[in-house]
Amino acid sequence: MTSEKDDPAAKDRINLDDITCPTREQRANGINAFKGKASELVDKARRGELRNCERDFQQNSGCILNFYLTVRVATIRDAVMIVHAPVGCSAPAALYREVFRRLWTSMNRAADFDFHGLTTNIGEKDVIYGAADKLKFAIEEAVRRHSPRAIFILTSCASGIIGEDVEGVVAEVQPRIDATLVPIHCEGIRSRIIQTGYDAFWHGILKYLVKPARKRQPDLVNVASMLSYTWQDRMEITRILAKLGLRPNFIPEFARVSDFEALSEAAVTAPVCPTYTDYLSRGLEQEHGVPYFLYPSPIGIANTDEWLRTLGRTLGIEERVEEVIREERAHWVPKMDAIRAGFEEVKKKNGGDFRIMGSLGQGRLVTQTPFFHELGVSTPVALCQDFDDLLLDDVDDLLKRVGDFDIIVNTFQAAEVAHTARFYNPDMVLSCPFQGSAYKREKGMTRIHALRGDGRRWSAQAGYAGAVACGSFLLQATRNRSFQNTMLQKTGDPYKQWWYDQPDPHYFHRREGQQP
Amino acid sequence: MTLTLVSGKGGKLSAKEYPEVAESPRFTCALGGAYGATLAVFGAVPILHSGAGCGMANAQGMTYASGLNSGGSAGTTTTPCSGLIEEHVVFGGEDKLRRLIDSTIRVMEGQLYVVISGCVPALIGDDVDSVVAEFRDRAAVIHVKTSGFAGNGFLGYNMFLDAVIEGLLKPLPVERKLVNVFGLVPNQNIFWKGELRTVKALLEGIGAKVNTVFSDFGSLGSIERIPAAELNLVLNPWCGLEAAAKLEERFGTPFEALDFVPVGPKDTSELLRRVGRKLKIPSRKIEGFISAEEKNVYRYMEYLAEMFMIAMPHAFSAVVADSRTAISLVRYGANELGWNPELAVVTDDPPEWARDGIARRLTEGLEGPSVPRVIFQYDSHTIRQELKKQPLQVILGSSLEKYIARTENESHHLSVSYPTYDRLIVDRSYAGFRGGIALLEDMSHSFAGPS
Repeated sequence: MTSEKDDPAAKDRINLDDITCPTREQRANGINAFKGKASELVDKARRGELRNCERDFQQNSGCILNFYLTVRVATIRDAVMIVHAPVGCSAPAALYREVFRRLWTSMNRAADFDFHGLTTNIGEKDVIYGAADKLKFAIEEAVRRHSPRAIFILTSCASGIIGEDVEGVVAEVQPRIDATLVPIHCEGIRSRIIQTGYDAFWHGILKYLVKPARKRQPDLVNVASMLSYTWQDRMEITRILAKLGLRPNFIPEFARVSDFEALSEAAVTAPVCPTYTDYLSRGLEQEHGVPYFLYPSPIGIANTDEWLRTLGRTLGIEERVEEVIREERAHWVPKMDAIRAGFEEVKKKNGGDFRIMGSLGQGRLVTQTPFFHELGVSTPVALCQDFDDLLLDDVDDLLKRVGDFDIIVNTFQAAEVAHTARFYNPDMVLSCPFQGSAYKREKGMTRIHALRGDGRRWSAQAGYAGAVACGSFLLQATRNRSFQNTMLQKTGDPYKQWWYDQPDPHYFHRREGQQP
Repeated sequence: MTLTLVSGKGGKLSAKEYPEVAESPRFTCALGGAYGATLAVFGAVPILHSGAGCGMANAQGMTYASGLNSGGSAGTTTTPCSGLIEEHVVFGGEDKLRRLIDSTIRVMEGQLYVVISGCVPALIGDDVDSVVAEFRDRAAVIHVKTSGFAGNGFLGYNMFLDAVIEGLLKPLPVERKLVNVFGLVPNQNIFWKGELRTVKALLEGIGAKVNTVFSDFGSLGSIERIPAAELNLVLNPWCGLEAAAKLEERFGTPFEALDFVPVGPKDTSELLRRVGRKLKIPSRKIEGFISAEEKNVYRYMEYLAEMFMIAMPHAFSAVVADSRTAISLVRYGANELGWNPELAVVTDDPPEWARDGIARRLTEGLEGPSVPRVIFQYDSHTIRQELKKQPLQVILGSSLEKYIARTENESHHLSVSYPTYDRLIVDRSYAGFRGGIALLEDMSHSFAGPS
């Protein structure tokens, strides 16, 4: 268990009287840029020396609303999402009715997969006269159309800047409707760190939806995971938990409002991504006494063992956990050994080593790096989306296990990633989907993850089955590079040569407050 | 579940109704439309002066939503963006933009840099025009003054064209038989690449020269060549007309408003005849081209006719699409396939002045007794209710209709309009002589067997 709960610093306390969460910058010194050794990053974080930076050259990276909050909130089955914004802010969620239907009901997805979202479609008149009345109409429309159990109201840059009194609307309207209104303050301009959006979401969940526990459900395990975990990952976690006589309470995708209400009744909140789950986990413990742990996530064989052991200690089922681990290892470790042997062959042909550069969220950083070591490959550098104080102990632990390594925090700025990939020249680059021209390489490149709507076993990553699937996938990715090579040869690069010739991927950075 | 809102707890919440409040509208915002138009010009680099998420929202919600496309080499995470946050709201974003334009010109290969301003600078009053003007002697830089609240993605395309006209175009001598093509809106029309390519090939077939502006390799050169055209073609009943009118006023280029991109031989032949007359191309040449193409297409139709008669003959059909796509598919279905058009849902929110014309286009000149009920609607919930009101066997719509078509209408479905998340569209289209064959190729696999 984490040590924070024995010594709760004031800043860790979640104040549900506030309308929203603090930003990650305020709460945990979240930063958007760093380059150096992981050990140095941790030291500087402990000394409070890390700062956000302003980039003179900056590229698309997502905001706290549009790092897919709309896509996710829209999938809550008996709720309606209202995005109080101009029409483009909710455009990514237009896949709500189609993409997730590719998951089959035979894979235990619920039959009622009819999601609903509304945009207030803020226009020219609204930014002059205000749109509170329009928001009320949208709430009314949501009730009239769908009789939802909850209505999520997501704010935007535009609603924030024009000073929409969303809290006032909620206070006025709530007594007159049955659905619970859940305002989420996710104005894109609030923060440079996209995780702030998820904290804002959890704040709304904790403040408005989670009910006081009527009873404990000793077999219920809260599991909140990021969008980059697939349906197979849910199935694997369900499978492993079932062997322990436990049930997952998966949120937020495809959940019902009652699943959020029951978060308080669970035996434990277990992480699949610590940085994503942190705010919710702390809040559930603080308000409802639900224990939690943040580390490790069930990625790779060893981390899955450890995830289960931590779960076992929390729930007092250590012996059963050890039995399950034995059974699982007997089944899966030989398969991992075969993958490892495959990588040994690859390494032999490659001069003795195989270096993978992953671009990871902070949560994946502390779990996926050990997984690469499990596969027998090395990591010259880890690219991390953002970084904050929440995982310092866990990075310490990681350093003990795998030694020091280079780390670059860059919110996945594409030109910086391209520069880093050239500089380190790893044998394989793993990149998020939607990463521009990152696939054009002489050496290997593949995607680091799939997305929630992917139901194929091929794309799994979590638990034992996921470790084997992901290991096979990476081994498979070493075999043929013709797509990456051909596209490199036949199409252009977006950046000029001098960008690669100079040594600094952070060439255009200025520290906050620093003058040119 | 009780509906306590209006009954019992006291009156309506809102003083009036707001029809623009909608479930999953069928377009992105004006910033998105301008962004998509910029990405559609090879060698153009968009610079978003906006919050950090606008580009990503439009990566997943616009380019990916238009047939699973990337934005090309300057799209997705490659696009420069000022990533405005609160401190810029307080102190202004002009300095950040100035640094961003400067660094973008230094780092990124580009022939044209297009600054697209979004909600934040529009609300805080950044003087973007002045900042952009500082770079005029260093590179071709223009400013598309949009915002998310200024309108939808189709209007964003109009705004892009206006910025091009204002910022880049100078009078040129007229090139005989040169035609510009407008009204095929990148991304918001999911087949824009294939349609432009097909329209170009068709017009070249009768001896015209064609500047598609978007999607060819002409880049800035294609844009600068716009004033040299002898004729501007607008293949859309409203979008692109404003630009054509301005080009006529400024450079004297006449324009021909043809409302839609033709699907199948009948309408395609009509288009070629009309354009041919305008360009004074001898009708012998036009008719020669038409009859060769036509013969070919109908010969091939024989190969699919038996399947067609088994799978979807004389179907009651609905189209849910932007106005020009709706017109072309209603006409093709009614006039060449023998379908009975029951419903046409126009989803691009055309301006009031264009609506009567669109409704006429959707109801006049059709074979058979069926005339579709025409509604202008972009709210996906209402569209779903409208689809239930009549029996249908064919729904040509967006991927939002995919599961509804099967479960609520027992209908064939094909995604032909935004958003389309269920098929990859690269240079496919249903334009031109062969377009109808392509349409049937794409929609017949789900039911075609003899059993």
